[in-house]
Amino acid sequence: MRALWTNIDYVASVILFLIGLYAIMVKGNLIKKLMGLNIMETAVFAFVMSAGIVTDGDAPIMGAGAKPPFANPLPQGLILTGIVVALSTSALALSLIIRIYRQYGTIESDDLWGVE
Amino acid sequence: MRRALTLALLILASVPLLYAVSLLPPVGSEDNPTYTYVVPHYLEEGPEETGCENIVTAVILNYRGFDTGGEVTVIFTALMAVFGVLLIPRPAEKVRQPESAVPVSPVTLFIVRTLAPFIVVFSVYQIINGHSTPGGGFQGGTIIGALLIAASLVMGSERTQRLLPEGVRRWLQPAAVLMFAVVGVTGMLLFGEYLSYPIEGEYLFLRVPFLTLVEIGIGVGGAAIVASIFWAMEGSDG
Repeated sequence: MRALWTNIDYVASVILFLIGLYAIMVKGNLIKKLMGLNIMETAVFAFVMSAGIVTDGDAPIMGAGAKPPFANPLPQGLILTGIVVALSTSALALSLIIRIYRQYGTIESDDLWGVE
Repeated sequence: MRRALTLALLILASVPLLYAVSLLPPVGSEDNPTYTYVVPHYLEEGPEETGCENIVTAVILNYRGFDTGGEVTVIFTALMAVFGVLLIPRPAEKVRQPESAVPVSPVTLFIVRTLAPFIVVFSVYQIINGHSTPGGGFQGGTIIGALLIAASLVMGSERTQRLLPEGVRRWLQPAAVLMFAVVGVTGMLLFGEYLSYPIEGEYLFLRVPFLTLVEIGIGVGGAAIVASIFWAMEGSDG
C-alpha cells in the first residue's frame, strides 16, 4: 500500500487509463469513443513522463547557470513523438467518423449495427 | 447491466496494473532505471556532441533523428489518408460553405487579428531557437497551425486559405519529409551516413544550420498539415 502512495503519479495514470477504457466500452457515440481513446493515450503519456521525473530536477537545457540534477530528457523526446502520432491517428479517426456520418446519417454505434 | 459488467471488468483490470505500479521504483528518484543507462551520456556529452543546449532537441533531432524522420512521414501519411477519406466527390447536395458556421462577434475578430502577429513571432522564435531554448519545430509549427484554424473560424476558410494558395500548400505539406530527405542525403554525401551531423572537423559550422533547417521544415510542414486537416474536415478542399 505504501508503495502505491509513493507512486501516486503512476496510480493517477492507471486511473486515467481506466476512465478512457470505460468511455470506449460504454459510450455509443463514435466521437465519445474517440475521446476515450485520446484519454487512454494521455494516460500513457503521463505514465512515461512521470518515469522521467527527477525530484527537484531542472529542465535539461545546458545554458549558462544550468546545474544538476536534470529531468530525464529521453521520455520528453519520446512523448513529443508520441503526441504527434496521436494527433495523426485522431485526425484519421475523425475523418472516418465524418465519412460514416455522410454515408449513414448517424454516428451511434447501436444504430450502425442495422445499416447495410 | 452493461454498465455494471463493464465496471466489474475495469476493477478486475485495475488489479494487475496497480500491482505492477506498486513494484516500480519510486517516482523522482535518481537511480530510477530510466535515468541510469543512456541518459547520463546524453546529459554530459549532449551539448558537445550535438551542438544543442536543449537536450530534448538533441535527442529528437540527433540521437533519435531516424525516429523523428519516420514520424514526420507518419503525420504526412495521415494527412494523405484524411484527404483520401474525405475529399472524394460528394453526392449532389454540395452546399456553399458559409463564411463561418456561427456569427462571429467583432470582439473575437479584433482579438484574433491583433494577437496574430505576436503569435507568429513567438512561434518563429520557438522554431529557429529550438536547439538552445525550450521549443522546437513541432511546438512552433502547431502554434501557427492553431492560429490558421482560429483565423478560419473567425474570418472564414476562404479568406484564410488565400494566405496559403493551393499551389503553395501542396509543397508546404510535405515540407518536413522533404527537409529530412535533403539534410539526410547531404549528411550522407559529406559524412558517409544518412542523417549524420558533423561532430568535429572543417564542416562543424554546418551543424547548427542543419539542425535549424530541419526544425524549419518540421515547423512549416506541421503548420500546413494541421491547418489542412482542419480544412479537409470542414469540407473546403484542404
